[in-house]
Amino acid sequence: MHEARSEVEFDALVVGGGIAGCEAALNIANNGYTVLLVEKDLSIGGKMILLSKVFPTLDCGACITTPKVSEIARHTRITILTGSEVGSISESDNHRFKAGIVKHPRYVVDEDCTGCQLCEEACPVNVSDQYQFHLVGRKAAYIPFSIASPRIAAIDMENCTLCGACEKVCPTKCIDFTQEEEHWTVSVKTVVIATGFELFDPLGMPRYGFGLYKNVITSMQMERQLAPTRPFHTVLRPGDGKMPDRIAYVLCTGSRDTSVGNPICSQICCMYSIKQAQLLMGALPMADVTIYYIDIRAFGKGFNEFYEQALGMGVNFVKGKIGKIIEKDNGNLLLRYEDVSTGKLHEAEHDLVVLSVGVLPNKSMQSVFQDLSLLEDTYHFIKQDDPILNPARTSIEGVFVAGTATGPMDIPDSILSAGTASAEAISHIIQSQ
Amino acid sequence: MAFINSELTEELKKFGIFDFSACYNCGNCTAVCSLTSEDESFPRNMLRYSMLGLKDEITVSLKPWLCYYCGDCSTYCPQKAYPGELMMTLRRWLTSKYDWTGLSGLLYKSVAWNVFAFLLVAAGVIAYAVCQNFSLEAIMHAGHVFEMLAIAGVFTLILLPNIIRMWYVTTIRAGIHAPSKVYLRQLSELFVHMFTQKRTLSCDDHKLRWFEHLILVIGYLSLLFITVFLNWFETGSVLINLFGYSVSAVVFIVTFHFVLERIRKTKEISMFSRSSDWFFVIWLFLMGFSAFLVRLFIDLNLLEQNLWLYLVHLIILAQWALLIVPFGKWTHFLYRSFAMYFQRIIEDHSNLSKK
Repeated sequence: MHEARSEVEFDALVVGGGIAGCEAALNIANNGYTVLLVEKDLSIGGKMILLSKVFPTLDCGACITTPKVSEIARHTRITILTGSEVGSISESDNHRFKAGIVKHPRYVVDEDCTGCQLCEEACPVNVSDQYQFHLVGRKAAYIPFSIASPRIAAIDMENCTLCGACEKVCPTKCIDFTQEEEHWTVSVKTVVIATGFELFDPLGMPRYGFGLYKNVITSMQMERQLAPTRPFHTVLRPGDGKMPDRIAYVLCTGSRDTSVGNPICSQICCMYSIKQAQLLMGALPMADVTIYYIDIRAFGKGFNEFYEQALGMGVNFVKGKIGKIIEKDNGNLLLRYEDVSTGKLHEAEHDLVVLSVGVLPNKSMQSVFQDLSLLEDTYHFIKQDDPILNPARTSIEGVFVAGTATGPMDIPDSILSAGTASAEAISHIIQSQ
Repeated sequence: MAFINSELTEELKKFGIFDFSACYNCGNCTAVCSLTSEDESFPRNMLRYSMLGLKDEITVSLKPWLCYYCGDCSTYCPQKAYPGELMMTLRRWLTSKYDWTGLSGLLYKSVAWNVFAFLLVAAGVIAYAVCQNFSLEAIMHAGHVFEMLAIAGVFTLILLPNIIRMWYVTTIRAGIHAPSKVYLRQLSELFVHMFTQKRTLSCDDHKLRWFEHLILVIGYLSLLFITVFLNWFETGSVLINLFGYSVSAVVFIVTFHFVLERIRKTKEISMFSRSSDWFFVIWLFLMGFSAFLVRLFIDLNLLEQNLWLYLVHLIILAQWALLIVPFGKWTHFLYRSFAMYFQRIIEDHSNLSKK
């Protein structure tokens, strides 16, 4: 049985609960308007809440995200739907939009869960943890991650064996295996799209051996290893649990590369790699860190100084794109590259390779608009009405875009962009009244 | 100090396709190449030389010949600059530089000149046939004598001087004065590479390409040998006859596959075809096929009534021997193997000097 909620009205619908969506929702709500924030994941905070530290200030990502996230969570004018997706948006009367939202069942009654984690202890099913980027496992009854918001459990029904162990130990009896999809229809005056980006999947570059060689990881996996809520409490290579001594960064993995279909620069990889290199210097003081690059793009305020700081700390920078990676018997990796400064071909041995994966568009909004046409740019990001003069407007009047849904950008730019989008959205609400 | 010569890029474009503005110098092409080594790395440096117009650096270099065009550099090029095709272009350009007559350059650059030259040779053959009153016996005899003369003439007048020019620019002008014992010691390399193309085996791509190329070379050389020295068309020996049939079949079957691949354009190596590439594979195919048919018609006693067939074969043969072999793509057979030979001499010599 599908439970259909009667039509609910909000001033604004924000699609996506990452840092840009949160910022936009907060701005709109603080101006006195009601907001529905829809997030497909089980927690808001997006990718930022999972980061270790942020460049170029080395602020702790979790520490600066969580206050913002809890402010939104407690806000009286913001309604948050996690584990939910916007299925359709269409134009309705009086310049309003009608949105169909699907709330996937969590199999836990949100209001009753205290986040005590007893269900996690009781659950006998171990699966790979997507929030730790598959470095470790989790249970089928789980809290997504320790600083998740809302911090309530969910049952992963794909892997659940329905043994009932969690139900027995739950002190508030909040586990409900009979939950079904909820369908909401909401009426809003404006929509802000903040669907963010996808990370490049390096399985698409078999010559780097990701997925085949255990000691080739992605930058997001390294990010988790360096985060305060890290899985191992130190940096280990996944192949044999050894602490790595010679770590390599392969920049432009899946960016600036037409052979994998993404010709543009991802704008963040140089800087996050430099940041991770600096953090590694602290986490593993004896380790050598080498960054293989095509160009170092340190264009923002304080970015070049941050790069020079890494140079000063002894991070190796080598100009040359990695052509291929070969695994040795001991799990070490041979990286083949041409040192462009000397013109010589080299094979360098490293014991851990981090692929600095790039930013790809999130195409989830492609089929959401029904009688309206949301245009995309050449690279499938959402097309801005005018990237310079009207960066937050889209091809649909009343629908605005914030953050990396428009293209690669860093956190400060995403927040700025969310500010612009929320200002536009508020002005649209006022005009439509 | 190097001076930028923008004319070279314009000249190179006449020999092939390359987008000089695409490359952003990441070195990926060199790093993915299976043949490049620490001492001999390519193709990125060749690309830089070409962009900057450093003619002398390219002329003395053997690197374009050390590339066997598996196409990995082009497949994985992040900028779609097609470095593999640039190496091919440089081989064409170098061929025209080695050639003292200058005709190679003319035929590589201009389709019109190609058509004119091919028609001229065809006209010559027909004129000769008219003079002989279309007597099959006389023409066949002349054809056989022509083959021998053409081989000797083309080799001594064109190919040998060109190889010497290649040797001069790539070793002597590059400052390599190796003693003759080094030349003798490495002589085996020349023949190994000439007859086996074993370097292709180090390429990462399909081994089928090496095998096809190998049997084509063997088939072609055998066909040449039995028509010229064993006089296949007039022999009574069943053994030679059967051998002739099989080697000519190998030639036209393999080249048919090559032509097909160039039409399909599924691999990097067959994606860009210039007139020189088309002439080379199609004429090789026609040679094998027409030779096969001529002998078949002889065996069926049909050639007397079908003199045209032998004339067609002779025209193809003359065009092949007078145009494609001395000035066209055929020369890569020699330049590639000599490049490997000279390369080993240079390496051997530098090892000796180090000691």
